[in-house]
Amino acid sequence: MRRAITSILIPAIAMTGLLGSLVAAAPAYNAAEAAPRSVFLQLPDTLPEPRVDMQARRLPSGGWRITLDASDFRFTEICVTDAEAMPVGHAHIVAGGVKLAAAYQPVVDIAPLPVGTHRVSVVLRGQDHRALLGRDGLITAEVEITVPAGGDAF
Amino acid sequence: MTIISAPPSAARVVALGLLIGLAAQPAMAHEAWLLTPAEIAALAVEPMPALFKSRFLLGLAALVGLTATIVAILVEDRLRPIEDRIAPRLSGAAQTVAPFVLRLGLAAMLALAGTGGLPRHGTATWAEPTLLVPDMQLSLLPGWAWLAPLQIALALLLGLGVMTRATAAAIIALSAIGLAIFGAPFLAYAPHLIAPAIVLILTGPGVASVDGRFAVGDLPPIPGHLRQPAYRTAQILFGAGFVYLAVAYKLTQPTLLIAILEHGDFPSLGVPYASVALVMTGVEIICGALLVLGRLVRPVSLTIIGAISFLAITLGETPLFHANLYGTMLIFALAGTILPAARSPAVPGWRTV
Repeated sequence: MRRAITSILIPAIAMTGLLGSLVAAAPAYNAAEAAPRSVFLQLPDTLPEPRVDMQARRLPSGGWRITLDASDFRFTEICVTDAEAMPVGHAHIVAGGVKLAAAYQPVVDIAPLPVGTHRVSVVLRGQDHRALLGRDGLITAEVEITVPAGGDAF
Repeated sequence: MTIISAPPSAARVVALGLLIGLAAQPAMAHEAWLLTPAEIAALAVEPMPALFKSRFLLGLAALVGLTATIVAILVEDRLRPIEDRIAPRLSGAAQTVAPFVLRLGLAAMLALAGTGGLPRHGTATWAEPTLLVPDMQLSLLPGWAWLAPLQIALALLLGLGVMTRATAAAIIALSAIGLAIFGAPFLAYAPHLIAPAIVLILTGPGVASVDGRFAVGDLPPIPGHLRQPAYRTAQILFGAGFVYLAVAYKLTQPTLLIAILEHGDFPSLGVPYASVALVMTGVEIICGALLVLGRLVRPVSLTIIGAISFLAITLGETPLFHANLYGTMLIFALAGTILPAARSPAVPGWRTV
């Protein structure tokens, strides 16, 4: 009898307690519909919503100078492991699903792009590299760059 | 043959069960490293699946999981005589070959972390030394860069099997430092680093080690009466680590797991990814809890080995992300609930020191 209690009853009670508590707590937490916190840093509604705009200018070297115009956001080179939910950090420059550069200041140069049309976008990131989320989702901007074969860019 | 001759729906259920079982154990906390910028943008607006918000459905799933667990525990008791018969043959390897695998796995992690050879997504290779795992960048914390060469030195010692127990103790110290300087984010990793180190202290270096041939000032073995409590501590830490990861990264962030499954084009056989994610979460919690309870240690360990191997293949990630898990799970699978007493070597070049 004692063996049955230690062998089956105690594990069963322990598992019931664990699973029961998770069933009680998880739906309440998930009801908030928050985006995954290990990927995104949700900014509080009490802060002004950051905005970002971007421009691209071709350099004589063939590369591109990306100029970011961010409002209610501060660039910093300081990164941390677990950032506060503040509009402070850097930006990731992305094209074709690939990160081209991290911009720790409003101006950043990227390498020459291959011939064709490219949609280059910027996403604001927090100090711990999580993507900042405002009230309308990711804080992002996009510019289209066309690199003609053997000609000037538009 | 049974599967082939069964109706298609039954075969589908069996196949799906197998796939989910294999994939149920987690990658560690590095799922987000796999996603592309476009997938992250889509993830930002992905709604929470109703399955994860419904207390009724989650309760139903928990009830199924609980029933399966109790059945498995009953089966374990029935099969214990068979396990006892084969255990001596298996547990011998738990102190020879398996520690060698564990040693090399930990050495690889340390070397790659110390050199930045296994960076997180978006970081250049060899550019950012980290502490033990890819996303704990030492450059974020001024004054701690000296941990990089230290890790490389420890990797060398582990690889050669020199002062193995002392080196394993140093890994525990490094994990404690990680918790102190990186804080809560390191909680996802610490149990799965401390537990292997404890196991390595208990088993010693295993085969193909300098320690096995020359006494070079390693720590003394753990006294006999403390071996089993220490081994149980390792199991509890390991299991608790899985439960923590399942709750922190899957149960409360299911859209991330679903995005990972979509990214890896996980073969769900038509079952919605939300359901697959819930089953994976449940299996991971139950496996972790069973390790904490010290039950079904061998089957759970084999499941984890299969799962992390399957995930590495499915998601196209390097097995080195889990280098700390393979050796530990191998020792758990071979030794089971109880680590046998240290014994004289049966393999040339190995001895218990």
